[in-house]
Amino acid sequence: MSQSREMLPRESLLWIFAAQFAALLPQFALLPLWIVCAWAFAVYWRLEVYRGRRDLPGRTIKLLAVALAVGGLALSYRRWFALEPMVALLAVSFTLKNLELVSRRDAFLSLLLAYFVAATLFVFEQTIPHAFYGAVCVVLITAALAAQQGSSSARPRRALGLSLRLLAQAVPLMLLLFIVMPRLGPLWAVPQNTDGASTGISDSMSPGDFAQLSKSDKPALRIAFDGPVPPPEQRYWRGLVYSDFDGRRWSQGFGVDPREGGRVSWGPPQQPLPAVGPRYRYRVIQEPTHNRWLFAMARPHSDTDGVGETPDDRLLKKAPVYNRFAYEVRTWPRETLGAVPDLSDFERSRNLQLPGGGNPRTRAWAQELRAKNPDTEEISRRILQFYNRRFVYTLKPPALGADSVDEFLFESQQGFCEHFAGSYVFAMRAAGVPARVVAGYQGGEWVAQEEYLLVREYDAHAWAEIWIPGRGWRRVDPTAAVSPERIRDGLRSAAAEEFMQDSLFPLHRISVLNRLRLQWDMINYRWYQSVVSFDSDRQRGLLQRILGEVSPLRIALFIAVPLGAALLCVLSWLWWSGCSRRLPPASRLYRKFCRRMARAGIERRPGEAPRDFARRVRAEKPHLGPMVERITAAFEKAAYCEDQEAEKQLRRLLRQWRVADGWW
Amino acid sequence: MAAPNSTDRSPAGRWRDIMERWLSRRAPAARSVGLDHGKLFILPTRAGMAFLLVIALLWLLATNYENNLVFALTFLLVSLFAVLPVHTFANLSGVQLQLLEARPAFAGDYAEARIEVGREGQRSRERIRIFWPPEEGAELDLCEQSRAEVQVALPVIKRGRQRAPRLRVESRFPLGLFRCWSPVDLDIEFLVYPRPKSAGPLPVGAAVGEGESEQKLRGGDDFAGLKPYRPGDSLRHLAWKQYAGGRDLYSKEYESGADARLWLDWDLLAGRDVETRLSNLCHWALQAEREQTPYGLRLPGSEIAPALGNPHLQRVLGALALFPVQGA
Repeated sequence: MSQSREMLPRESLLWIFAAQFAALLPQFALLPLWIVCAWAFAVYWRLEVYRGRRDLPGRTIKLLAVALAVGGLALSYRRWFALEPMVALLAVSFTLKNLELVSRRDAFLSLLLAYFVAATLFVFEQTIPHAFYGAVCVVLITAALAAQQGSSSARPRRALGLSLRLLAQAVPLMLLLFIVMPRLGPLWAVPQNTDGASTGISDSMSPGDFAQLSKSDKPALRIAFDGPVPPPEQRYWRGLVYSDFDGRRWSQGFGVDPREGGRVSWGPPQQPLPAVGPRYRYRVIQEPTHNRWLFAMARPHSDTDGVGETPDDRLLKKAPVYNRFAYEVRTWPRETLGAVPDLSDFERSRNLQLPGGGNPRTRAWAQELRAKNPDTEEISRRILQFYNRRFVYTLKPPALGADSVDEFLFESQQGFCEHFAGSYVFAMRAAGVPARVVAGYQGGEWVAQEEYLLVREYDAHAWAEIWIPGRGWRRVDPTAAVSPERIRDGLRSAAAEEFMQDSLFPLHRISVLNRLRLQWDMINYRWYQSVVSFDSDRQRGLLQRILGEVSPLRIALFIAVPLGAALLCVLSWLWWSGCSRRLPPASRLYRKFCRRMARAGIERRPGEAPRDFARRVRAEKPHLGPMVERITAAFEKAAYCEDQEAEKQLRRLLRQWRVADGWW
Repeated sequence: MAAPNSTDRSPAGRWRDIMERWLSRRAPAARSVGLDHGKLFILPTRAGMAFLLVIALLWLLATNYENNLVFALTFLLVSLFAVLPVHTFANLSGVQLQLLEARPAFAGDYAEARIEVGREGQRSRERIRIFWPPEEGAELDLCEQSRAEVQVALPVIKRGRQRAPRLRVESRFPLGLFRCWSPVDLDIEFLVYPRPKSAGPLPVGAAVGEGESEQKLRGGDDFAGLKPYRPGDSLRHLAWKQYAGGRDLYSKEYESGADARLWLDWDLLAGRDVETRLSNLCHWALQAEREQTPYGLRLPGSEIAPALGNPHLQRVLGALALFPVQGA
């Protein structure tokens, strides 16, 4: 193939840049600014070359550009084994390739890279708008590929139309593959999108944290139940257990996180599951948190891969939740768990731990309670009564000083869930009862049409658990003592005045918008259920529903039947649109004439011109001469001058001839 | 060019023979050929292979991140890759080629074939390239018009009748990831004239071996009139008298007598090898035609009477082209 054929068609250059831009656009926010600038500059340079104002960069400049790019990447990213540097590397290779975009080969390479960059977008985000945008990218890139053929293919409408048509034809097979192709699961550990800030509940709690969370209405969990749905006062989604208090901050403490040697049981449970069926079965779809903890009711068990159980009754994921993650949970009621072993010494001391000093009033008060009431539950009841009498539940509690618990309990008496939970556990520990703070979500909005529970960030909540000998850990929610509405109806009614007050547009007050938002969340939920979290389990379920039984034969038929049908369609289209029946009428008539001549003993040779053939006929059968000559003349006129009259004449002549057939 | 001959005994040559025999059964030589599934071949191009590689990488990305949207994209590209050959094939299937003319050429030059490309049915065809493999050939679209004419060039080196190798009709439409092609034998035979080589001025009046040399030396001597001078006219025929008298430059025209005609004679060029002689004669014939001097050709065993005009030139050049190859 000669050099000039390999050259890039001129029109296609703009197509390539458009495709690159589309693929890179969503990454611009993630990429360092210099890469974006370099890309824009490379495009500008190449367009100047296109206009003939500049030359392509020489070898030295190209080498310099490579060196600068490598240096820039090394400076911008300290960690190489991560997703962002890889995307940056792709973007940089785009940029550098633009400087030598000369041949068709370069163009292909650049566009294939663009497909890959478009795909990396999905690793970061899998929402419906992102999927839609990705589809637009693919259409554009495919159109740019079509434009590489040059000529009319490079015209914008033609290229886009072609690309849309091809992709539309590819969609049915894609759906089939999507449903049928097995999902193998990760082949090796890959870098995850780690740079995004973690959202939601964090691994420690200090006053004000939860009030901060209450400002966000982003979805946190979507929970679909298989069977009964727990009543609102039972909807406690446990995520974290804080056992360690330093006087201000509650945290998980040493030895809980598996990275610090915390015990997690992966796979089948160590203790046999109760013989009684679980009380609740549900599936949680969790938004990315960049943390490892998952949310479930007490006594959970999950069969989902990569989910383990901790000794403090929580679920934990092996790798942080970087993408939306779905897991199945079964929860048993407490009573079915059989005899409760006693708290180990280590656990007991961990859950009685208090800072060396501080908050003397609370300690004294708690010891007094203890002295008066030997019963653990009675102490708890007293404390809750104390809250119930005077305290105010508010999103905007006053700031607290060094002895935060003392100040809260005896002075300000205004607080949010973390104040109540924290002070309660402090008091219980001071009274000698093992207690711990539990953080997670409480409540959720029931979406009736789709039958799932939507839990938002503002449902974040903190409560307490106390150890009762012989009965184990019991949940106590001090907030409920102050503001029962919070538990029953959620934060919106409990703190109606303050709820989402800081947001720029108090959209939650407009009920139409609220409904629309709920609708949108429903569509999203469907999307996550059916597309994003379509894993091998759901695949098996779906195939079972479609095929009745998942056997190799049925799957083979499932693939082969639509494919065969499609192939048949294609073949018949090819036949219809290109077969000889669609010859122009004049040629068809002439062909008929040739067949008759063949029957008469003179066959037209392949490629023989009609006029030559007529001459030969006249030489061999002179009596046919005049007729054949008239037919040939009429055919030539009809075929080459597209003369309607001549075509009619040809038809007439052939008919006359049939009449005459008898006597010659 | 490599006409199929079975003298090549190397494995590659033998392989070529087998292929050629197979092809000539599938797609026999004809001046008019319609492309159908029996004659069309289709394979992914190198870009298509790279596309498959991208699909494989995307699949790895999707599997490792357990990302269903990347899976969807991967499968979309797989399906696209499955749909494409249908389009590429349909773009060539039903295309008809007919040889209109194989133009003669001089050795060392390009011989051109005029080919008419048409289509069956109304489906438009795009980016059809017709070429002799290492050459560039011609590219055409059949969109609105249902037939088009292209000229395809083939370099010819040796004088004589040249049977052209199989033409390649190829298309990579729509995305360039598949290449559909057909090796078409349109039964093209070029007449290749010797390469013209200058051998000095025209041998006007020169003749060898006939004994009547003086008469012919004088050339035609019946003065017939004046004609405007054209570059290349013999200086001996310039009308100097008239020029000196202030008029334009004129050539005197003579009516050639029967014995004063220009004979391009094989024997005039004794001592040179056969091909050089033919090349020189070719050059002379072209020059004589340009100067409008009637010329005849004498070759061992044949003779073309002097005349002028294109058909005559074709005849003369044809005789030179078909002169038997020495030692063959």
